[in-house]
Amino acid sequence: MRQWPLSPILAAPVALVALLPLLVLLDLGADAESLWDPQWLSVFGQSIALTGLTVLGALLIGVPLAVLTAYVKLPAQRLWLVLLSAPLAMPSYIGAFTFYAAFGPGGEVEQLLGLPTPDMRGLLGAAVVMTLYTFPFVLLTTRASLRSLDASVLDAARTLGLSLPGALWRAVLPRVRRGIAAGALLVALYTLSDFGTPAIMGVDTFTRVIFVEYNAFGLSQAAMLSLHLLAIVGLILFMESRLGTEREHPGRTLVLHPGRWTLGLGIAIVLVVFSLAVGLPMGLFGVWLARDGMSGFDPTVAMNSAMAALLAALGAVLLALPVAFAALTGRFGRIMERVTYLGFGVPGIVMGTALVYLGLQVTVLYQTLFLLVMAYILRFLPLAVGAVRSTAARLDAHLVQSARLLGASRFEAFRRVSLPLTVRGMAAGAALVFLEAMRELPATLLLRPTGFETLATQLWQVYEAGYFGRAAVPGLLLVLISGIGLVLMLSGERGRNYA
Amino acid sequence: MQRRELLRGLAALGLLGSWPMGALGAGNAGGAVSVDELPALEGELTLYLGRGEGGLYEDVIEAIRKRNPKLTLNVRRGPTVALANTLVAEAEAGVQQADLFWAVDSGSLGLVSEAGLAKPLRETARAGLREGFRYEDWAPVSGRVRTLPYNTDRLDPGQIPDSIMALPETDLSVGWAPAYGSFQSFVTAMRLLEGDKATRDWLRGMKDRARQYAGELGVVMGVSRGEVDIGLANHYYTLRLKAGQPDAPLELAFTRNDAGSLLNASGVMALRDTDLAHNFIRYLLTQEVQSYLASEAYEIPMVEGVALPEALPAAAGDNPPSIELTRLADVRPTLKLMREAGVL
Repeated sequence: MRQWPLSPILAAPVALVALLPLLVLLDLGADAESLWDPQWLSVFGQSIALTGLTVLGALLIGVPLAVLTAYVKLPAQRLWLVLLSAPLAMPSYIGAFTFYAAFGPGGEVEQLLGLPTPDMRGLLGAAVVMTLYTFPFVLLTTRASLRSLDASVLDAARTLGLSLPGALWRAVLPRVRRGIAAGALLVALYTLSDFGTPAIMGVDTFTRVIFVEYNAFGLSQAAMLSLHLLAIVGLILFMESRLGTEREHPGRTLVLHPGRWTLGLGIAIVLVVFSLAVGLPMGLFGVWLARDGMSGFDPTVAMNSAMAALLAALGAVLLALPVAFAALTGRFGRIMERVTYLGFGVPGIVMGTALVYLGLQVTVLYQTLFLLVMAYILRFLPLAVGAVRSTAARLDAHLVQSARLLGASRFEAFRRVSLPLTVRGMAAGAALVFLEAMRELPATLLLRPTGFETLATQLWQVYEAGYFGRAAVPGLLLVLISGIGLVLMLSGERGRNYA
Repeated sequence: MQRRELLRGLAALGLLGSWPMGALGAGNAGGAVSVDELPALEGELTLYLGRGEGGLYEDVIEAIRKRNPKLTLNVRRGPTVALANTLVAEAEAGVQQADLFWAVDSGSLGLVSEAGLAKPLRETARAGLREGFRYEDWAPVSGRVRTLPYNTDRLDPGQIPDSIMALPETDLSVGWAPAYGSFQSFVTAMRLLEGDKATRDWLRGMKDRARQYAGELGVVMGVSRGEVDIGLANHYYTLRLKAGQPDAPLELAFTRNDAGSLLNASGVMALRDTDLAHNFIRYLLTQEVQSYLASEAYEIPMVEGVALPEALPAAAGDNPPSIELTRLADVRPTLKLMREAGVL
């Protein structure tokens, strides 16, 4: 006798709530003047090109670095992971702007060091910047999957004569393709829905069309166009879901001891990536700070950011659990899981406005911290779902069945078998949501309690007004707090090496 | 640190001597009222503030708070259009949070006004405003003028036409930001002043010599870096860049009496018809606040008798075209024109 699985039942309301903002968009978009303009086709092409290049870049950087941080014994192990994840805390428009200001003829690098540098504009410049601010998606999801792999297969491959890179390529990476794909998916959706970076780099993407419409008081047109964008999102979601995965037995985590040169190279790459993504903006803010002079800063702003992001991280992981497990139970569960991703592909300002309409349905909650946290959860649920699912997918169903056979209740089997084995995915998911919530802007501006300032809103304010020096302190705190949050969440992994 | 001193100055008030612009303004205080003449603000107010202007508006707000300890002032900052959309959504749901809406562009005020949410401006506030800027249900607070920032290494002021319509006939390379709201307001003004055909021809003529930027700060930076000869941008970006880098090869030029010298304004409207809300508006139109915004944010005072920002050439704002600013909210036909011309 088969018991009806519990997770789809719990997942259904979550998926339903995730769908609500899209229904609001449908309602808003109903008044749109034009459904389609042939001119948008080339813009669509630009969006897809930028997304493709960014995903490629994120894979090229993210996967090797995931191997490095997952398997190689490094001094100050956790520090490297934190450095590499920090770019996720930086709003990408800040990165894009500093790249634009730093490079090219007459840029800050040339002014300060006298070194001529190439212009960072156009599709390639945008792809480089987007890569730097999204590759940690790939890094974190891939690493979480790598850490839950059993090392013995690699050892076997090595014994059979494969070189280490060969063994990694043929015996390890195929087994974590689900984790890699989960990260790539997030990169793709983030890139598709981002406005700031392509705008600053002068790439004419679909989000720019949406933004122009929104700012020209064409809310319904902007909503309609966002739904068009969801067509690409749907296609990407479908492609990603075609990737299957094999179940894995949990086992000893691999430890690699590379030679001194390889190790040095790895660390050098980490440092270069970090200094480009985080060091460069921080350095430039410092220069501008020296130029413009200091101004006051209120520390409660940092507290607000950390608190809201932490609540969002916890809430998102909690809601992601049933969705991720439901995705493994069958077609219905998979559809529900895919549904939670859709909102991540909608440009923030449009999504924020849709959430205003949604929040106004429950007026008691409107403009409360609770609603803000709910908005973060809705927006970033896919980050948690993807991370949890990719580790849960490799869970051996027999383990749970054995536990049940041995008399454990359904809940006990979940608590003592499934949960501990997915805790890495949960930690990675929580970290992702935490970082994204720290940098989230449009929904924060619209939904926060009146007067509730965060680091991201402060950064936005000074950036909008052109007072870049004042971005130094909030920018630095954003990176610092994200680092601390990351250390706390990733320490959930500690002592859980099931040998 | 200068900013904090100014804050103290504004809070202490009456100490007009410590204000850089105070002496200039005090001499011919035609319409501007001093804060001392206004009633104290008491009670709770919620203000929706479209864009933050780097804390400079916030300095004004902070000073008003300090001067009125019995006032509880809640401020929500956001992108102007998003806040306007929020106000409309709130009204549809029967929720009202805001007493006041202070927006950086008049178009957003037009949207909220059209939704019937604005309360008529009182005469006490309207009386002091610049001629030609006295509106029914909102008060302009500070102005920004359209300018032509140019690179002094590459260009001689004599090479710059004094009519915006003549720009396509020159051989200058131009930086512009078609996706930027202020630029679209400028094209809307051209459309209203010169007609659709002339505007479309102008856009087409400009297209080949124009380089696109995301925003007008980018335009001004591009001009100062020598990427283009001349740019189309609001005046204050240039003044701010010059304040940080006084040696930048960058100066401002102006056109005469056409869309190229459009004077657009941020403005405030009351959403609740209370004395408190209306008195708050009067605070924003005082001598002190107006000269503070002029000297610190380089914005153009909208009250009679307050001096222009010091760094702004005297020609600025002399010959603005005559146009009702809320009409600039009619952007959609402008976007259509811009798309037809292939610049958006």
